[in-house]
Amino acid sequence: MIRTRHSMAWIDRLGMAALVLVTAFALLLLVAPSLIVIAVSFEPRAYISFPPSGFTLRWYQTVLENRQLMDSVVVSLRTAALVMLICLLIGVPAAFASVRGRFPGKAALNAFLLSPQMMPGMVIGIASLFFGAYVAFRASNTMLVLSLSVFCLPFVIRITMARLAGLDARLDEASANLGAGALETFARVTFPQLAPALTAAAAFTFIEAFDNVTVALFTSDVRGRPLPVELYYLVQFDSSPVIAAISSLEIMLSFLVLLVIARTVGLDRLGR
Amino acid sequence: MQNRNAMDFLVIDQVSKSFGKLQVLAGCSLGVPRGTVLTLLGPSGCGKTTLLRSIAGFVQPDSGRVLVDGHDISGLAPNQRQVGYVFQNYALFPHLTVSDNVAYGLKVRRRPAAEIARRVAQALELVDLGSYGARHPAQLSGGQQQRVAIARALILEPSVLLLDEPFNALDARLRMTMQIELRKLIERVGITSIFVTHDQLEAMTLSDNVAVMRSGAIEQFGPPLDIYDRPQTPYVANFIGRANLIAGNSANGFFTGPQTVRSLVPDGVATLVVRPENIAIETGDGPGWAGTIAFATALGPTVEYEIDCGWGEPLRAVVARDFGRGTIPARTAVRAVIVDPQAAVVLSGARHDGH
Amino acid sequence: MVTETTALRPRNRWLHPLTSGGLAPALPAVLYLVVFMVLPIGTLLLFGFVNIERGRIVSDSFTLQPMIAALNDPLVGRLMWRSFWVAAVSTLLTLVLAYPVAYVYGELRGIWRTVVLVAIISPLLTSALVRAYAWLVILGGRRGIVNQALLSTGIIDEPLRLLNTDLAVLIGMTQIHLPFMILPLLAVLAERDKRLEEASLNLGASRTRTFFKVTVPMSMPAITAGLALVFAVSYTNFIVPQLLGGGSYSTLAVQVYEQTIVVLDWTRGAVLATLLLGTCFLFVFLIVSVGARLTRWTEARP
Repeated sequence: MIRTRHSMAWIDRLGMAALVLVTAFALLLLVAPSLIVIAVSFEPRAYISFPPSGFTLRWYQTVLENRQLMDSVVVSLRTAALVMLICLLIGVPAAFASVRGRFPGKAALNAFLLSPQMMPGMVIGIASLFFGAYVAFRASNTMLVLSLSVFCLPFVIRITMARLAGLDARLDEASANLGAGALETFARVTFPQLAPALTAAAAFTFIEAFDNVTVALFTSDVRGRPLPVELYYLVQFDSSPVIAAISSLEIMLSFLVLLVIARTVGLDRLGR
Repeated sequence: MQNRNAMDFLVIDQVSKSFGKLQVLAGCSLGVPRGTVLTLLGPSGCGKTTLLRSIAGFVQPDSGRVLVDGHDISGLAPNQRQVGYVFQNYALFPHLTVSDNVAYGLKVRRRPAAEIARRVAQALELVDLGSYGARHPAQLSGGQQQRVAIARALILEPSVLLLDEPFNALDARLRMTMQIELRKLIERVGITSIFVTHDQLEAMTLSDNVAVMRSGAIEQFGPPLDIYDRPQTPYVANFIGRANLIAGNSANGFFTGPQTVRSLVPDGVATLVVRPENIAIETGDGPGWAGTIAFATALGPTVEYEIDCGWGEPLRAVVARDFGRGTIPARTAVRAVIVDPQAAVVLSGARHDGH
Repeated sequence: MVTETTALRPRNRWLHPLTSGGLAPALPAVLYLVVFMVLPIGTLLLFGFVNIERGRIVSDSFTLQPMIAALNDPLVGRLMWRSFWVAAVSTLLTLVLAYPVAYVYGELRGIWRTVVLVAIISPLLTSALVRAYAWLVILGGRRGIVNQALLSTGIIDEPLRLLNTDLAVLIGMTQIHLPFMILPLLAVLAERDKRLEEASLNLGASRTRTFFKVTVPMSMPAITAGLALVFAVSYTNFIVPQLLGGGSYSTLAVQVYEQTIVVLDWTRGAVLATLLLGTCFLFVFLIVSVGARLTRWTEARP
């Protein structure tokens, strides 16, 4: 008798075809826009064209020479760095309390610490703006940093908690049993295991703070606008590939962060 | 090694399978007579589960065939094969009730609702879960879940039932009871069954035939007691029950040693297999191996002795408890004597061949 | 007999304050959130019910008037409806696209998994602006990529008006939120017990039937979570409707932005923001409740 491969019913063939098609379409849909933007940024002519009619870096040059844009990049970098620092400083210890804590109301604490996730960025932005006005504090880069830290705090806490929960607390006990004091155990045992996750959390927080529009539109200073806000206004007037160029730079930055995350906690952990 | 004959209901013919560089099955062949129970026995990694899954179609062998009642089912997809399969963790659909779980296969076959209801009720009665239909699997105990899994498979009236370590997830107390229950059920239904297990006691209890597997191949096949009494390799001897493996030589039809043991293997290096319950301990002069008691464990009805005969590995003897004499103290000089030389088996080759 | 007083009790010095199980390490974060989140949101809610002049509250001006006015305003109702249906449709579209990706990911191994993950996560790490801009480029007028392609191949003579439509907003929202739907599903589908699908096959079901009767229902908790998340971010998204919908296109979220930043009517902005937030929570609650009802089997206990 001739041996056949698994014979598949027609409905399975149909289902499989549909699955593959939809998946391919979805993946294409995910990456195509970014790739198109990068391609468009090389277009020599002064308007959008795809595929690009030539290759030029002049738009990148324009970006680098644009004082306002470069200033906004600096503002964004500074803001992101500060937000990252604040979130790490208060978020990492909070994660410890959430994971290793043994006190009543821990679940409520967790919910509260992660609650900013449930707020749209816009709400955090407006709320900060109003509260600032109430206490006579103007929109400024300080307000931006403070409000963005609220928005980004859950990222640090979640990533740290996930890693911490996976650590074996008995290792700390073993360290103590072998004579190490509290600080030494933390430095030799706990922290080294945590370090990759902290790096990933820092990178993720940095890029989220760098990229953020929804909070920044409300809390940033008119004079020192972060890059996404600057782009927001630019997009409504300028139709040259300049925006494509700066967007491409942002996309490349995102790939850098992607690499950092991949090398530390691994990309597959980002979904949890 | 005759693993099969022409009258067998289920036949596995030279099945091989590799996953990448790892060869998991290497030319397995065996036959299961209709209505009997076969146990695939072996340690983890020996390929027994892969073989079972090959019969069900979850694994496609690289070569070889599987035949049921003369039909080659090797080319069929798993949903075309009509063999019952009970998973190790039962694989009950948690989002369906017990009744819906059991009815699943019938619904796939588009049987009328009235017939489904009737047959589901029957199936649940068969496994003694008549009133549990409306519950969800998470509400049942391990033993109950297992029974639902069995009902779900049997309701489709398959010709073959495959079970992957079905008692693994149960606690020891429940295991014995469930094994006997299952055996009775299978006999009542009269279905050809194959179990997979690493527990040799289970194999002895449940099966008409046992296939001892090692590294993807079948080392020995036969009724359980046959395998116990006449192991064909040191591996099998050690896997089923416990065995003393004594190194020596076979010469002129006898095993060299302080007792007369007939040998059926050619002259050369040989191993003598003696079960611990086949060794008696005597003092004074006489036949047997001389040694001293190294360790004694009183187990209740029996006493286990380790006798150091100077070979490195001690001889093990299990004797019925002597209420008069008590346990023989350590360092006593004794003789280990084979009680029934005919029950001892001489195997060709060294003791650790292939271990 | 040893009495308690003579036995020494060791002090817990071997555990670092961080790991000793106390509440203390979380206090800075809690304090921070109270000051910079709770109080501001309280202020936001408050502003909807008082008179604001030049950024300060006029004393003794608590009133329900702005809220009532907003609730009675048919424009607000229309905006809310648009916000709702755009969010709902794009959320469902996102699900239809996301589920196969998550499912296929579970079947992939090695480098292919990484490739898919990069495709999913890299858009997440770019700003919402870049992603909306990309769609401006694609859907734009005569210069838009779709139109360029269609015009140059002669399929159409006049450029299609793709931008400044509901369609553009839907497409933009769906694509931009796709990673948010894929990631939770990915985690659950990649770790699911495939033996349940084997059991279904063994019982005779086709692979397609197994997909719809076993795989999908079992992932319902993750689906619910994804739906709730994507709906919430879609409903409150103002960037996409503004950029892709154009000047005359508005949703409730867009109105919140305009009232607050452009018109500078903070009271109205606060009222609309409160409405936005309130209705968002309501809808999310509904989604989660329906999901919980559908997945009651997850709560079964012996």
